Amino acid sequence: MSWFFKSKQIQLSILVFFFLVGFVPYFFKMPPVEDFANNLTRIAAVVGNFTIVIAVYSQWRRSLRFIREKRKGWAYHIYLLILMSMMIIIGFTLGEHHTAYKWLVSTIVTPLSSVFYGILAFYMSSACARAFRARSPKAAFLIIAGCIVLLYQAPLTGAFLPGIEPYSLFLTDNLGMALSRMFAIAIVTGAIILNMRMLLGRELAFLGFAREES
Amino acid sequence: MDLLTYLSVVLAIFIAFCGFTTLYGKGNPLYSWAEFSYLATATAMSVMWSWTATFGVRYAIQGLIRGELIWVPAIILGILMWFRVYPKYSYLSRVSIAFTMGIALGWGLRTSIFTSFIRQISATIVNLWVPEYGIMYFIARTTIAVSIITMMSFFIYTTEIKGPHLWSATIGEYIMYTAFGAVFAQTFMGRLSLFVGHMQDYMFPVWKQPYTIGAALLVFVILLALDKKGLAQKLAAA
Amino acid sequence: MVEKKVSLLQWMATYDQRWVYLILFLVVLGPMVSPIGMPISVSASTRNWYEKVTALKKGDIVLDSWSTEYSGYMELKPGLLATHRMLINKGVKLFVCLGHPEGFAVANVVFEEELKSYMDKHNYKYGVDYIILGYVFPNVASTIAAVTNFQDAVKTDWKGVSIKGTFLDRIKTGADITMIVDFTTGAGNPGLIDHIVLRFGTPMIQNPIGVSLPGALANLDAKLLQAVLASARGGAELEYLIREPGPGLIMMDAFSLGHYMVIIFIIIGNIGYFGWTKRERARERTTIR
Repeated sequence: MSWFFKSKQIQLSILVFFFLVGFVPYFFKMPPVEDFANNLTRIAAVVGNFTIVIAVYSQWRRSLRFIREKRKGWAYHIYLLILMSMMIIIGFTLGEHHTAYKWLVSTIVTPLSSVFYGILAFYMSSACARAFRARSPKAAFLIIAGCIVLLYQAPLTGAFLPGIEPYSLFLTDNLGMALSRMFAIAIVTGAIILNMRMLLGRELAFLGFAREES
Repeated sequence: MDLLTYLSVVLAIFIAFCGFTTLYGKGNPLYSWAEFSYLATATAMSVMWSWTATFGVRYAIQGLIRGELIWVPAIILGILMWFRVYPKYSYLSRVSIAFTMGIALGWGLRTSIFTSFIRQISATIVNLWVPEYGIMYFIARTTIAVSIITMMSFFIYTTEIKGPHLWSATIGEYIMYTAFGAVFAQTFMGRLSLFVGHMQDYMFPVWKQPYTIGAALLVFVILLALDKKGLAQKLAAA
Repeated sequence: MVEKKVSLLQWMATYDQRWVYLILFLVVLGPMVSPIGMPISVSASTRNWYEKVTALKKGDIVLDSWSTEYSGYMELKPGLLATHRMLINKGVKLFVCLGHPEGFAVANVVFEEELKSYMDKHNYKYGVDYIILGYVFPNVASTIAAVTNFQDAVKTDWKGVSIKGTFLDRIKTGADITMIVDFTTGAGNPGLIDHIVLRFGTPMIQNPIGVSLPGALANLDAKLLQAVLASARGGAELEYLIREPGPGLIMMDAFSLGHYMVIIFIIIGNIGYFGWTKRERARERTTIR
């Protein structure tokens, strides 16, 4: 039975078959195929949610290794495993709308989630304070454009420098937007090429075949 | 306000400032505690939501109990996915990965070609001059079209850049740097708003302000004391 | 040993970066302790958003998509709360779909704290006027499954209560949705544009964070979006426009000072670079050893 899983041709056929089931009905009216594709999509949605177990297993394995080898910070790993298990047990037994679960979420998750993203404001400030040097004409363009948009974004600027608005909007709505569009087109082109390579069997590392070959 | 909510707010403020201690530049036990707390609870939350979400694991099991046989292959494929972590049996996960990747590619490719490729190109190649919209519209559309074409020409590496291509690539490079400046400012606005909004959460209602300022000072004093005694990095996780 | 005195220009080029962190903290916390109250102008994009929301009619069904973590909510809060006040005022039917596990905490805060009194004032009731479906969009496949056959895919709300007999009985596919209002950090926004807007022609408006703004503007220009509200600044403008001051307008003092602080540090850094660093490097290159 393992030949079924180990065969590159069979796995590639599965990949291509389900790709066609998802792709073709969009362009041709085929209600039975579309219904089949919708059911497969629901299955795929559920399969995706099973992968969280892998994350939890990996975290347990890593933490247990730290604890066993008494590496630096091993006590924090004990704390992590206890807190994680406690919260999962509370969630499964009492439900995610219970006061205890919501208390843990509002006390730990929500403030720290905001902190770990909010810290980026500090890093961006210090990065631009250190790195934004007008060493060349291109760097000067970057800094000047950045300063114009930064000035406009501060609401107070409208009170003493109202004329800055059209210049800032020109930079963001035209140049900034053009940059984003250019990258979107380039990224999708790259994605289409990569997808084609996967479907043609040229990129099968995600299925684990490259490791076996080596 | 009940005691539990009050404790939650005060502890949240304290743990948030413990998280900010990473800005001090050295590892310290306060940050390590905050980091591991977040890792534990965020992972637990993800587990819960994978279980309870629409099309989560519980949804499939409940469907199976109701007699919907469509969830049998879903559960089998999901369990096969778990074998990814065992090197000896990881080949069992291939069929799950092939299935989900095939469906994802099929659904993704059929629409992203339109939204991120064709529609973006067709929005660029439009009438540059429309009399009703005036000269500013013409300048804007021309700028967009010229910017995209010249910026793309900068990224062509398969031929030697010379002649008109060199001119186009150089103009594209200058436009790109200017655009990066504008985009950086928008990104900074986003990050700053995030931080300001976060601090607003701890400064309003006004009764929270003494706790916020107190927690900030307390954490700072503890950090300085630990650093002075040489304990900060010794007691940190990394 | 004689300590060499550090000149002003040298200090400008070599100061400890932690001063930037400390000053940013003070600049943000200061105006919150003692508000200044700065004026704000309303941009064309915010007016466009206002017009699109105002055009909705009582009873229209709106997909309220929150693809944001709690941290993203900190930035999207002004726009989210102001827009919801408009939607509640209009009497539209909302169904809230979360695209991130932390959206659950956001929903609790928004509907059980921030908007509670406003909803009570307008008699806006759960189950009749709005329903929170929960984490319905964990991935693209779920989004597709939900919008192609809604009745089969979604049967209960976020607390497991059946949605049968509510206004959601009218939703069969994405075509039955009047409009999509999306508050997103860009993370976990699983194909609303790809699989609802493109497929069913459902109009969509989006309030992204600053990082995702250029991409949203590109989609707006390509007519995939009908309106874009620019991050927290757009939310503050909307609060001003609808005459309902909220967290956005309070934020703007610290917002302005934070922007000016960064500009000042850029200028200081460049003065230090041209006044000291560049000359120091030239001096090192030409020193006779």
